[in-house]
Amino acid sequence: MRGVTAKARYSSRDNTECDTTERVFDYADVLSDNEEEKLRSLIAKRERQCGCDIVLVTLDRSLKDEAREIDPDVDYEEFVRIYAEQFYEEHNFGYDRANGDGTILVDNWYREDDGNIYTWLTTTGRAYDKMSDYDVDYVLDDVYRYIERNPYRAYKTYVNGVYRQMTGSGLFRLRVPGWIPWLAGIIAALGFLLFNWNSKKGASTVTAFTYVAGKQAQFPVRQDRFLRKSVTQHTIQTSSSGGSSGHSSGGGGGHSSGSHGGGGHHR
Amino acid sequence: MLFKCKNCGGNVVFEPSRQKMYCPHCEGEDSENLVTGGSAAQCLNCGAPLELPEDASAARCSHCGSYLIFDERVEGALRPNLVLPFRLNKEQAVAKLNQEFSNRVFTPSDFMSTKSLEQMEGDYVPFWLYDFQAQYDFVGEGTRVRTWRSGNTEYVETSYYEVVRRMDADFDKVPVDASYQMDDSVMDLMEPYDYQALENFDPKFMSGFYAQIYNQPPQELESRARDKAGHASEELLQQSLSGYGTMRPLRKNLNLQPKGAFYALLPVWRYRYRYRNQDYLFYVNGQTGKVIGVSPVSRPKVLFYSASVFALVTAVCGLALRFLWML
Repeated sequence: MRGVTAKARYSSRDNTECDTTERVFDYADVLSDNEEEKLRSLIAKRERQCGCDIVLVTLDRSLKDEAREIDPDVDYEEFVRIYAEQFYEEHNFGYDRANGDGTILVDNWYREDDGNIYTWLTTTGRAYDKMSDYDVDYVLDDVYRYIERNPYRAYKTYVNGVYRQMTGSGLFRLRVPGWIPWLAGIIAALGFLLFNWNSKKGASTVTAFTYVAGKQAQFPVRQDRFLRKSVTQHTIQTSSSGGSSGHSSGGGGGHSSGSHGGGGHHR
Repeated sequence: MLFKCKNCGGNVVFEPSRQKMYCPHCEGEDSENLVTGGSAAQCLNCGAPLELPEDASAARCSHCGSYLIFDERVEGALRPNLVLPFRLNKEQAVAKLNQEFSNRVFTPSDFMSTKSLEQMEGDYVPFWLYDFQAQYDFVGEGTRVRTWRSGNTEYVETSYYEVVRRMDADFDKVPVDASYQMDDSVMDLMEPYDYQALENFDPKFMSGFYAQIYNQPPQELESRARDKAGHASEELLQQSLSGYGTMRPLRKNLNLQPKGAFYALLPVWRYRYRYRNQDYLFYVNGQTGKVIGVSPVSRPKVLFYSASVFALVTAVCGLALRFLWML
């Protein structure tokens, strides 16, 4: 149902400057042809549904030299960021316009000389607005959950994760940590134990009338005599604010072409 | 004494479902012949020696299975005034236990096994039933509060009343168990019994059951009966004071006048279940079927069911979250 709504909202792609229709760049060759094809189909569908370009790049080479050519002081974890942003801008990705709405995941399988493998997820345009650093980390966490044993599944999770972040709301955007099902299980088991753990001997079924002859007491004297009355008063304090209760909000931060957000992980 | 069948010589017992004397050997009804004599030391039927507690007034001979009533323990000062005959027989009492415990998942599997239930026995428990005439005089000051608003002003009107009550109530047969064997709190939970079915004492009602004489005289237990009647009086009075926001007692005096005490035998089915070297006692009111007792907990069952619920809920939640994530 959510997909249908999204389809209606993002039915057309306005960017005509992008130089490729390819979205899956498996330079590291970690995916089979069939897996690449399935990812392309999924990405095409998700792009239409969420109105964002979704790009995947896998690499298996060091990015140290080319990154340090651009910025000599750049850290290891930033190599993939520089590559991702350059790649996105070079091909003019973006759903609404060149360098517009979209995301790119660069997963470099090469172990840099610091011993780590780096991955970066870059967000641009609406994706930048919608996905906080926390959201990006969340998607990358899910990607890393599968990356070593099933890269296809990991990248599929990336595509679906971006789609979910871009279109989901309410329950579908809930951040549910992996331990929640375990906690639910423990709570349910404890609840089951408490519910079934009966340590009561029995309940008393004797009432005040049980042993009273005729089941009622007699009241030969029953008087309620009014004595006096007292009245106190106090003024109710009310709010003196008379202005409207409307909210004003500042203008949203615009993003010029080429500005990106995102985050990275290493393994 | 012993009740023997005129027809076959078998032991005649009181059968609760028939409310008659019944011979289980020849199935004759009201065919009993009273044989008096004997003692608590020796079976009147087979002569076998009996090893019984000193306060037993009726028991079953472990050799011949006859139900015996010991004359010297149901005579004179030990003769009960009243007896409430069993209304439930053993099968009906077992059914009540089953109904209560069959849906408890942690109860051990053999809890209601035939072998365990063989130990179930019907007991007449000695009770003192006290009559009191209660007179409660009460004077207090009660308040009623009314609140309203006018503009920005809130008004609170408090009306004060002098409240006078005199309450009379006749308490009829407030029961207190007079047996050391029985836990007082358990016996209190067994109440109430329906006194309409009380009979003047007749030893025939004891045939087929165990019974005890009272361990404590009526004077010793009267304070417990007074407490019960006192609490009930207080509750009855409080019910007559409704409608007041607060009530400040100025004077109160409860006078409970004892009107008599009756020695009565009340019916209880007792089931002793042994689990992991510990005895668990269950009681079924022999008249109303009310069940009292805490069932033992089977650790393997607790582990199995808890683990199953944990696994099921964890799996379902995990799958549901994965499904939502994959949408």
